[in-house]
Order: sequence, then structure tokens, then C-alpha cells
Amino acid sequence: MTFSVAESSDLERARRRIFLALFTALAVALNTVEVLLPSPVPWFRLGLANILTVTVLLLYGPRAAWAVTLGRIIVGSLLLGRLFSPGFFLSLGGGAAAVAVMTAAWKLCGARIGPVGISCLGAAAHAAGQMLLAWAILVRHDALWQLFPLLLLASLVTGVLNGAVADMLLETLKGHPAFAGLRDAGRKNSSR
Amino acid sequence: MALKSVLRRMTLLDRAIVMVLGMFAGSLLLGINSRAPGENILVEREGKIIFTAPLKEEREIRLKGIRGEAVLIVREGGAEMIEAPCPRKVCMGMGRIDQDGEIIACVPNGLLVRIEGGNEPEKTYDVLSR
Repeated sequence: MTFSVAESSDLERARRRIFLALFTALAVALNTVEVLLPSPVPWFRLGLANILTVTVLLLYGPRAAWAVTLGRIIVGSLLLGRLFSPGFFLSLGGGAAAVAVMTAAWKLCGARIGPVGISCLGAAAHAAGQMLLAWAILVRHDALWQLFPLLLLASLVTGVLNGAVADMLLETLKGHPAFAGLRDAGRKNSSR
Repeated sequence: MALKSVLRRMTLLDRAIVMVLGMFAGSLLLGINSRAPGENILVEREGKIIFTAPLKEEREIRLKGIRGEAVLIVREGGAEMIEAPCPRKVCMGMGRIDQDGEIIACVPNGLLVRIEGGNEPEKTYDVLSR
């Protein structure tokens, strides 16, 4: 079969769209499973969905990462029936901070930073963003910051683990023919 | 080993980031845990103080929140939430508090329980203006 140049770029775009939708759907699923899991302390979350955000950031670039994260938070909140509840805004604040920091790290450090570092920074930013928003809209009291070191420590552990999983996922995906046209495409897309 | 395979996946910068963040969190943790035991217990609902009492006196307090009634128990110089109307029981999971500045926050119910040192002057009215 032969393709013209235009056709193959159309194909690539369609493929990208489909994969982004799949990644978002997977992120929503992980998000939902995570909420249903019992947790030792209430504020502790595994942040499994961040595996997919990191993967998408490295595969398709920042805009795709924003799309997947925002999509995940909105659809996930709809599923759990907490759209526009305080918890929703906390997720939104955490998610936005995480993607912003991860994008910045990825742009500034290039190949020197791996998925694990990106994921850790994202997890820490998520904790910080969530804290900041909780302080701003829910309990405006300095004592709230006592939770922060614990949250940060926990986010570090989950960040390393999620980063390692994202790295494995990236390794597998990059070996697959469906992502063959994408080696380092994330960087190219971001400059568009 | 699992730890080794994680390490293998980290670049130098990754390791530096993890170490710096870890040290930062660790030092924050140490800085915060050096607190004096508190003397008074305060309960706020939506920024207003609705209840206050010395921690020494043992009692059981029924607190009216946005969602319903929560039960706070004060005994042996500490406080803990033993009943909450919210679905996830976050405040109950926060356990017992007994040090100056510690809090139990019950977000869905709009309640904040905190402990203050005795000699400190009241300085919390600033936040009521909203």
C-alpha cells in the first residue's frame, strides 16, 4: 500500500488522537480504582494516573499531557459524582500544578531528566498545589501546613514508583510499531 | 531486586531530585514535630470559633457541622474525633491530637478542631473577615 505525505500525516494525527483518548480513559479508570482502594491514611493517594500523564508528556508533549490530565479530572469527577465539589477543585489544583512543573522540568532539563525525576517533581507539585488550594478555599489556617511534610514524603515514594512504571510503559510502547513514527516526536510537537 | 531495577531507571538528575526533595521533606518534618503540648481546644465552623475549652477537662462534645453531627472526645490532654457524618471519615482517620498547633480538619462537614498553647494571645480573628 502506498500513502501520500498528506495521508500519512493525517493517519498520524488520527492515531495520536485515538491514543490520547485511550490514555485519558485509562487514567480515569486508574483514578477510579484508586479512590475505591482502602488507604491507610485519608490524605494518602497513590497517584497512579500520573503514570499516564508522564507517559503522555514524554510521548506526545505538554499539550497532550494537559489534555489527558484535565480530561481525567473532569471525567473522573463526573464518574465519582464530585464534579465542582471541594475535592474536585483540590484535584484540579494538584493536577494543574503537577503538569505545569513536569512540563517545565521536561523543557528545561531535556534528556538529563528521566520519567522517575519528572514523576517525582509532579507528585511533589501535586501535593503542594493541593495544599495551597485547600488553604485558599477550605481551611484558611496555617496549621494545615503541618500535613505538608508528610504529604511530600509520601508523594516522593509514590512518585518514584509511578515514574519507574511509566519508564517501563514507555519502553514497551516505544518498541511497538504503532508508536514507531513517534521517536522523540514529543519534542517536535511541542515546538509547533 | 526491585530497588535495583528502579535505580537503573533513574538518571543522575532523577536521583538528585529525589534526594533534594527527600531532605526538604525530612527537615520540614523535623521542624514541625518540635512543638509544645497544647492547653486549649478550639473548634471552628466556616472560620468562626464555635467551641473552646481547656484540654485538661475530659468531655465528649457533639459538634453541629454542615452535614450533620460529629462527636469529639477530649481525654488525657488530647482530643480525637470518634464519630463523623461524612462518607470518608477523614477526620476520624487523623487520630488523636495533643500538641500546640495540631489540627483535625473535617472538610465536608466544615469543621476544624485545633489545639492552642495556653499562654499565647488570641490572634486568630484576622481570618474571620471573609
